[in-house]
Formats: sequence, structure tokens, C-alpha cells
Amino acid sequence: MRARNRKIETSDTDAINVSPLIDVVFILLIFFIVSATFVTLPGIEVTRPQAVTGKALEKNAVIFALSGENEIKYAGSTVQLDEIPALVEQASKDRGKPVVIQVDQWADASLLAKIVAQARKKSTDVSIATRKPRA
Amino acid sequence: MKRRLNQEPERTEINVSPLIDLVFILLIFFIVATSFVNEVGITPKHKDTASSSSNLEEPLSFDLPASGQLLQDGMVIGIDQVAPLVRSSSADKAPSVLVRVSPGARAGLATQVMDQAMLAGAQAVKLSPLAQ
Repeated sequence: MRARNRKIETSDTDAINVSPLIDVVFILLIFFIVSATFVTLPGIEVTRPQAVTGKALEKNAVIFALSGENEIKYAGSTVQLDEIPALVEQASKDRGKPVVIQVDQWADASLLAKIVAQARKKSTDVSIATRKPRA
Repeated sequence: MKRRLNQEPERTEINVSPLIDLVFILLIFFIVATSFVNEVGITPKHKDTASSSSNLEEPLSFDLPASGQLLQDGMVIGIDQVAPLVRSSSADKAPSVLVRVSPGARAGLATQVMDQAMLAGAQAVKLSPLAQ
């Protein structure tokens, strides 16, 4: 009975009203545009060292990785130590982005120290990515 | 013109289907491109050596030789002794710590030493490489 009534009401315009759908999709679109940061990932996954004082780092950062084979990775390719200041400056674009170094726990510590020293030439905020120890 | 008006007397709605298609494609692009990187880490701060006053006091230094040990003042210590040493070195002010690493030392150990020093309240932690 009810279905028949509705059928009669909407018999002449049987198109779905899509205006609310467009509204919702536009709001989602604007959210994702605003939240997009476009971080360049190093392209390898490392085993981070454990640290209890680790704090959440800024998301919009220049990320380097130091692999267990002592290779410095940036944006999917291996880079040399003396390229790091230019890469940081290029990626930071005068906005003073922080630098995050993802270091493998079996990598060479003196190489890590050299990377930190190189990155500090161009950025005041250089962090080492860690992981929380399992409680 | 007149004939078209006769054919569609009251249907003047804009067709929004291509608009929805376009907006959906944009939406999917931004969903895929958004990378939610949630990184946890330590930030060892150290004063640059421009200030002359910091040179007067010797920072507490730890050595990491290639053998994988942890030395403080020539003695082998464990990782759990770092925090008490940093605390006792200067009770009144925030101490500064220097971690000297040799080639061949493990980055995980160096990070743990810095972590323990910062846990004990060290303000300036510097990681410096030793020459070969």
C-alpha cells in the first residue's frame, strides 16, 4: 500500500536526488586535500632501535634512511653523505622542515653520527626514528 | 529551437553525473596520495660549539668502540648504568653528554645510550664520530 503510494508520487521524476551525495563527497575531498602532506619516503623498511623517551615526530619531515648494509636512502635511491645538505635544502624549500633519520639498529653508528652532522648544517631539528619497547 | 522547447517543456536540470565522476576521481587520488606517517623518535639537541662558556666544563662522554662495548672513562659499563651516571654527574644542572662512536659500532646501541641519557635529564646530547 505504502509502496504503491510512493510509486505514484515519484512516477514523473524517477531520478535520485544526488545533491547531498555531492556535498558529502566535496567535504571528504576538501579534507583529504588539506591533510595531504606528500612526504617523500625513503623506500626501504628498517628495524628501528628501541627507545623509551621517543616522542611523536612531526609528520611533514624530510626522511632519510640508513639501512643495515650502511646505505643512505632518500626517495627510493641511494645517496652519498655529502649530498645530504643539498637534498635537505631542496626538500625543505625555506620552510625549515625537520629531518628524520630512520636508522637500522645494526647500521654503523659513526655513519649515523656523520649523517646527523650533515643534516644539522641545513636543519635545526634532526631526529632519529625509534620504536617503543614492548612492555 | 522552438521544437526543442516543445519537446522538453519543464526539464531544465543540469546533468551532474560527470561532475560526480570527476570529484570521485579527485577524492580517490587524494586518499591514495595521503600517507599517514606516524613516526616516533628522539631528538638529540646539542648546542653548537660557538658558545665559549660550554667549553669550560667537560661533558660526560661515553665511548662506543668497534667491539660493541660501552665505555665510560675507560671502563666497560652496561646500558642500564648510563642513566645513574648522567644523574650523578651533575645534580644541580642539566648535564650535557657526548657519545663518541667508532666505525663499526652499532647504531642501535648509540641510540639506546642517547635515549638513556635523555631519560636521565640530559639537555644536550651530541653524537660525534671518531676518526678511523
